[in-house]
Amino acid sequence: MKKQYAVTLVLASLVIIALAAVAGSGSSVSDLPAPPAIGTVIDDFKLPDFDGKEHSLNSLKGAKGTVVIFIATKCPVSNAYNDRMEKLAEDYKAKGVNVVGINSNNTEPSAEVKSHAAEKHLTFTILKDDGNKIADRLGANHTPEAYVIDTGGKLVYHGRIDNAQNPANITSSDLREALDEILAGKPIQKTTSVAFGCSIKRVS
Amino acid sequence: MRLSILFVTLLIVGSVAGIVAPAQLNGVGSVRAADIREINLDGLKKILQRDPKDTRPLLINFWATWCDPCREEFPDLVKIDADYTAARLNFVAVSLDEVADIKTAVPKFLKEMKAAMPVVLLNVNDPEPAIKVVDAAWDGQLPATFLYDKDGHVVFRHFGRIKPDELRAAIDKAVGSKQ
Repeated sequence: MKKQYAVTLVLASLVIIALAAVAGSGSSVSDLPAPPAIGTVIDDFKLPDFDGKEHSLNSLKGAKGTVVIFIATKCPVSNAYNDRMEKLAEDYKAKGVNVVGINSNNTEPSAEVKSHAAEKHLTFTILKDDGNKIADRLGANHTPEAYVIDTGGKLVYHGRIDNAQNPANITSSDLREALDEILAGKPIQKTTSVAFGCSIKRVS
Repeated sequence: MRLSILFVTLLIVGSVAGIVAPAQLNGVGSVRAADIREINLDGLKKILQRDPKDTRPLLINFWATWCDPCREEFPDLVKIDADYTAARLNFVAVSLDEVADIKTAVPKFLKEMKAAMPVVLLNVNDPEPAIKVVDAAWDGQLPATFLYDKDGHVVFRHFGRIKPDELRAAIDKAVGSKQ
């Protein structure tokens, strides 16, 4: 009788543990939109630059491909990449790849984006995404966060520029490697990476 | 026999309720913000693997001083740290600031916040492996908050600024009682 009681008690306890495990199953919460899958055709869109002049994505495409980078004026991580982004734009313009910046932060108005670009010597086109519609469409959550679109309009790379804020610590130049593979007519080995930086300040 | 039944029952129910909780810090360090410790990827893995003898739920918040929503939510985390004692909840705040900030921006911010939870700074050249180690679903967004139960299962995760009531409800459930 005592043995039966003990077994019942242990079984009851195990049931409690199982119930607790089920009740505590992990919740995953993120309010942000997901990015399109690699290979998805990115539909054309129009945005104004920081002077208010409207551009379409198609009008800014390079002959060999296009890089879209979400950037910020105040984010220290994005700012750590200013020189690298400008150099990237210079290096690849000659190779037929155009770099386009997009500022989707609702906390950074066009005038600030313009003065920041002048101060940091950013010469590539920077678009202002008021209402973060394009950030939402591309599932961009960070600054900096890069997208590479091929000549067919397909997304072929999405993620970081490289692995390190501090240029001295770069061991993996993911974006440049993806572009070099495109230009060499090779498949991109690493099509996605984890973009790391400040969150895009969306409209609430 | 009755004593052994009582012991087994208390052990099992106690584990579920989270009341059998040794006051260990899981090797993470001091509770003072001044003692921010630098860890590498292995150090992060060690925190995630936990000490098997430690039955407390583990709360990890990844943040950085340059991250606005991290700064905005930090007062809520300080309150949570104060409300749930270290004997019941193992809370570790993992800074992803640059290592150069370990003696400057990070302690300055923690002092402003009057933070008292254990804080470590993850010093890695490449954040991607660390992010993948924590959660394959995490895209690197900061802040990121994870709560693990005593068995190491994720029972709450949130990317972006936490909703304190949601986190507190998850902690209450994990520690086994209402605070």
